[in-house]
Amino acid sequence: MARKQRTSRLVWLRRGVQGVFLLLFLYLFLETEYHPINLAGAHVKLFFQLDPLAMLTAWLASHAVAAGMLLSLATLAVTLVFGRWFCGWICPFGTLNNLCTSLRGARAKAKLETGGYGGWQKAKYYVLVVFLGGALFGVNAAGWLDPFSFFFRSMTTAVYPVLNDAVSSLFGWLYDANPGIGPVRVTAVSEPIYEILRRHFLAVEQPHYVGNVLIGFLFGAVIALNFVRPRFWCRYICPLGALLGIIGKNPVVRLNKSAEACNNCRLCLADCQGGANTPDAGQWKPAECFYCFNCRSDCPTEAISVGFGTQPDSHEKTAVVK
Amino acid sequence: MIGPIFRWIKGFVKPPQSARLDLSRRQLLASGAAGIGAAYLFHTHPLGRQRSYNPDLVRPPGALAEEEFLSKCTRCGECMKVCPTNGIHPAAFEAGLEGLWTPVLKMTIGYCEYECTLCTQVCPTGAIRALTVAEKQRVKIGLAYFDRNRCLPYAYARTCIVCEEHCPTPKKAIWFEEAQVTTPAGEKVTVKQPRVDPELCIGCGICVNKCVIKGQPAVLVSSVGESRNPANGLLLNSGGPYGG
Amino acid sequence: MRELNRRQFFASAVLLPAVGKLQAATPAMAIAHYKAPPTAADGIAEEARRLTRRAVDALGGMRRFVSKGQVVWVKPNIGWDRRPEQAACTNPDVVAAVVEMCFQAGAKKVMVSDRPCNSPQRTFPRSGIQAAAEKAGAECYFMDERKFRKMAIQGGKVIKEWEVYTEVVEADLLINVPIVKCHDLSKATLGMKNLMGVTAGPRDRFHQDINNAVADLAGFIKPHLVVMDAVRVLAANGPVGGNLADVRRKDIVVAGVDQVAVDAFGATLLGLKPTEVGIVSEAHARGLGNMNFRALSPLQLEV
Repeated sequence: MARKQRTSRLVWLRRGVQGVFLLLFLYLFLETEYHPINLAGAHVKLFFQLDPLAMLTAWLASHAVAAGMLLSLATLAVTLVFGRWFCGWICPFGTLNNLCTSLRGARAKAKLETGGYGGWQKAKYYVLVVFLGGALFGVNAAGWLDPFSFFFRSMTTAVYPVLNDAVSSLFGWLYDANPGIGPVRVTAVSEPIYEILRRHFLAVEQPHYVGNVLIGFLFGAVIALNFVRPRFWCRYICPLGALLGIIGKNPVVRLNKSAEACNNCRLCLADCQGGANTPDAGQWKPAECFYCFNCRSDCPTEAISVGFGTQPDSHEKTAVVK
Repeated sequence: MIGPIFRWIKGFVKPPQSARLDLSRRQLLASGAAGIGAAYLFHTHPLGRQRSYNPDLVRPPGALAEEEFLSKCTRCGECMKVCPTNGIHPAAFEAGLEGLWTPVLKMTIGYCEYECTLCTQVCPTGAIRALTVAEKQRVKIGLAYFDRNRCLPYAYARTCIVCEEHCPTPKKAIWFEEAQVTTPAGEKVTVKQPRVDPELCIGCGICVNKCVIKGQPAVLVSSVGESRNPANGLLLNSGGPYGG
Repeated sequence: MRELNRRQFFASAVLLPAVGKLQAATPAMAIAHYKAPPTAADGIAEEARRLTRRAVDALGGMRRFVSKGQVVWVKPNIGWDRRPEQAACTNPDVVAAVVEMCFQAGAKKVMVSDRPCNSPQRTFPRSGIQAAAEKAGAECYFMDERKFRKMAIQGGKVIKEWEVYTEVVEADLLINVPIVKCHDLSKATLGMKNLMGVTAGPRDRFHQDINNAVADLAGFIKPHLVVMDAVRVLAANGPVGGNLADVRRKDIVVAGVDQVAVDAFGATLLGLKPTEVGIVSEAHARGLGNMNFRALSPLQLEV
């Protein structure tokens, strides 16, 4: 196949921004505890306030909305005009799924088969409609599959307690067993590390949550599904993604495939995160695109470019590759 | 300027084939119907429309009345993370299937700290209303009751009163009657037998949490008397801003 | 302080502590009372510090207890999620003064901690003790669960072995800094009961035989010095309190080496006779100290 490309700067920028938001989410997660003025700080709920799905279903079901959640209108506005950047650059759960997809490390040929658009991606829209239907009649169950709720709830009840227990057990064992040779003991290094962990990362008391096994298992399953398809959750399940897909169906920032430059190698499919790409060059589904720019980075002939524009009319022909 | 905007709007309504979501109308209707049907099933469950109450469903202080609460709660787990005593947990079926993963207090694991309002501060949707400390201290989330078959001074002729020791209300909601009981050895001893004052008890559950009889404590909290659901109240004319 | 020439300085630095240690008639107990109690918060803070210093100085100063380079463990009451005015935890300024005096006496490290009844992430900051102790240079953080070890409680009648914090028994010096509060089970919770805070395990079972259990503990963990905070005492609805109307200002700090005598005095501040507090009379009966504190000729100081 074509030679391995050097990753483009835009992709590195995107990865950097994703990393920042994921770290921000995890930081806010750790910050969600008591601080000495009986406050947790309103800032810890930031991601939920940016979440238009949570806002929409709460509003439909209860006919009122917490003021802070109106921030999510900004997300909607940006998506309406510019497309699903939120999924590709901001959503921390999306980034986590992205990371696990990368761990998959499939060969290029295997990736080509699963990278592009698949009909099952429509499933998330039906999931969204189920929740919207329920919300219309007072039931706000969207939180079960809202990505921030899913991620935060799983972190709280399953992931963090597991990590906390594992780390505490390790340092507990090191403290008791005190391994070493002669006067050189591991605790000389491990105890200072433990003190830092204890003060900044570990829980004051080991948390235990009812229902953690099911929640943890579901979380693990969702993460593992990234080995089946790239960003499985984002493509097939996420109702927020579906909502943003509907809103961001016609973005003004568009990916263009030059029919002349394209040599039909289809490498652009291999790393497509959202499943917006199809084997037909010139076809691009904006409702599924996360603007990850992997396709642009991978293209050996630089046939893919980003630009402003509006959708061609339905009667106009789309570019077709020879 | 107008032209591109017009074309842009038209792109939503009449997109080219490649950009269509391609959702089947039939499947959309079926999905919507499923959502609506599920909603009505939840409403007609015994816990729906507040037809009846689950004594185990003790919610955090500041939680709205149940129907409204369920319509707002996004099951995010912020309150569960912030609770300093690890007292708030994701519900299984205490609130019916509709309430899956909504917050519920489990007193054997944690309790509601008297001067704390953290859960009311972090709830993003307002399902748990923000409260000041003074407001929170007047909210009842439930009512404690003793299981005299297990409580030491009732059942085993020994004094304990760890529950009273920890009771945080300014005037303690647990009080005593001294009683003469007989020990297994036949001695007569005086023990302090605890009782709950329903006007003072706010259902915080620290008594349950500290009870020396682990697993199935001798004192429990049930949701009756909770301020947020007046129909699940208890006392007539007990005053207080939330009635009940 | 008047200027000392070099000879006088050496004399005082070397001879005085030696002489101090030789004095057989060193005071066992000092009760410092504030003459003109202020109402403003910073006034009360100043009062607490001065009372603590004067009480300990009257015993011979912290140098009598702390030697250069020692590790000191300070055990205040940080048990409850309450503010200092509510008198559920030890006054933070009393703790800070104790810590400062330890450092001035040459301590290498001072650790301040407790295993509270409410969540430590709330009790440590809200009691004011964490900030005050850290500002004075002490390490004040939640206890490390790994550092509890089951220990044989020598002389224990009802408790033969129990989980105790190893740092406490390993420290060179232990200073108990309780607050005076009423308690419906034990009538009063004072210094000896405050020692429960260094134990883990199912310690709520102590209440079934509280007098013997606490006496067992006090006999095992014998603090070298007790500094009792009675600036504010909790006179009703203890040990948790909450209602400011239950708090009484006594404006007293007591320092003593006899934990039974100090507790006995503390009981009187609540209107109780020492014999009425079962823990005190049991500890006295076992010879852990003398509940007739007047027999110790406590120094009475007006500050």
